[in-house]
Amino acid sequence: MLFPTIDFGLFFAFSLTLVWSLNSYNTLKKAVLLALSLAFYASWNWRFLALLLASGAISYLVGLYVDAEARRPYRRLALGIGVALDLAILGYFKYLDFFIAQFLTLAHALGLNPSIGFVNVTLPVAISFLTFHAISYIVDVYRGRLPASRSPLEIVLYVSFFPHLVAGPIVRAHEFLPQLASPPRAGDFSFGENLLLILGGLFKKMVIANYLAVHFVDPVFTDPTQFSRFDLIFAVYAYAIQIYADFSAYTDIAIGVAALLGYRFPQNFNQPYRALGIGDFWRRWHMTLSRWLRDYLYIPLGGNRHGALATARNLMLTMVLGGLWHGANWTFLIWGAMHGVALVVDHAWRRSAAFARFGEGPIARVVDWAVTFHFVCFAWLFFRSPSLDAALQFIAGVWSDNGAPNTMPAIVLPLIACGALTQIVPPQTRGAIGAVLDNRGPAFQVACGFALLYGIVVMAPPGSAPFIYFQF
Amino acid sequence: MTDQPQKPASATSPWNWARVIYAALALTVFCFPGGLVDWLDERNESGWLAAPLALARAVDAASAAVGIKQAGQGLRKAFADAIGEGDG
Repeated sequence: MLFPTIDFGLFFAFSLTLVWSLNSYNTLKKAVLLALSLAFYASWNWRFLALLLASGAISYLVGLYVDAEARRPYRRLALGIGVALDLAILGYFKYLDFFIAQFLTLAHALGLNPSIGFVNVTLPVAISFLTFHAISYIVDVYRGRLPASRSPLEIVLYVSFFPHLVAGPIVRAHEFLPQLASPPRAGDFSFGENLLLILGGLFKKMVIANYLAVHFVDPVFTDPTQFSRFDLIFAVYAYAIQIYADFSAYTDIAIGVAALLGYRFPQNFNQPYRALGIGDFWRRWHMTLSRWLRDYLYIPLGGNRHGALATARNLMLTMVLGGLWHGANWTFLIWGAMHGVALVVDHAWRRSAAFARFGEGPIARVVDWAVTFHFVCFAWLFFRSPSLDAALQFIAGVWSDNGAPNTMPAIVLPLIACGALTQIVPPQTRGAIGAVLDNRGPAFQVACGFALLYGIVVMAPPGSAPFIYFQF
Repeated sequence: MTDQPQKPASATSPWNWARVIYAALALTVFCFPGGLVDWLDERNESGWLAAPLALARAVDAASAAVGIKQAGQGLRKAFADAIGEGDG
């Protein structure tokens, strides 16, 4: 059930009324939200519902034990077992075949022929996000950021809540569970702003991301040897806009839908292509993943507390694992490693005497932006390519031109410009327009909502490709 | 998301939110009824959606009778042509 479909439109319309009609009965409301979330997940593959429930059960039981146990070594052991179980589930479904393939390659190189086969298991939708939510809960309980919940219902609802289930944002346990304690109040949320968030998300996905993907980016990345240097370079820029429009659309819709149901999710994007430096980029791009990696991986590894070398090692490890989290492929690993190296360099540069002297002027800021943006785009090339060979072919094509004519459709530049506009418009604009909507009557609200939806339907191509982050 | 304690009742009632969303969706369906008809038709193999399908077809007919459906189709085609994605 993709967000921009009739299926989800009907599902959400039904859920909205049902959930608010139960607002005075909080436990029943949570049970209904859980049932809706399970139904949402089952719409992809009901066989994996057991996985969802198992993940919730592990989190619930480990949380209870960690909270009740006073002896630190036992708490640590329970935490370790809980995290290992969550990672084992992720590892089995997502990485086992990758590691078997690497092992077989190495064995064949050494002249061995081990009798190991691939497991060929179907990758469950949302497995990575599910794992991160589950780990967040038990670590938050271990660190004392929140008490263990006595309600298994709340824990399973936390890991499976349908707006964030498939592609985030990654809502940490201490951000979400306290919201379940009492019924939400509609007055705490801006209807206008969240309506605009959802409609803006639909526009970004259905118009910008879909057109860029289908008519330019996908064909170029499928066979880069058939395209000119000009096409190849613009395909990278187009992909940078496509992945932003696609992923931020999903999280915008998720945040808006959750808010209209009475639950607050954290912001996930903050105009990332305005970033000055890679560190700044990661404070703006997939912010909930960055914070998760910082709090649950980088800081436990030692963070920046043990000198420059250890900091560099921790940054590299965090980013390589963050890259690998996206998928079992060398391209993701290289993408993560590139960002790791860039973060180490960025970290050193911003603490240098040269930066203090030259780094703050207007020209330096323009250079900073240009270097950051083009590095991010170059790294996307590896992220998007289906294999390392394909990425190298792509780069070779940029060098040699492939002798192909330019074929970039005319629509690409306006779409890139539209995407660029989302990075320039002041972030408070949506809140201001939302406040105007809030202060007008229902007729005006209906007229605005309808007009925007009408425009999106007019412009959207038939059908909708899955969101990029579904595969992660 | 912003917190605005002084909002009017129309903005703080989830029932109003639902009414606004339903109305906007209903108007969109009236303007582009083909999508819902096809969606219901695809899922109606055993006939269990006969009633909503009949309703959707009635909406489709009404929309076509007043020219709203054709206007929507025309705009979609014009946009597709403008960006070079037309049938040709």
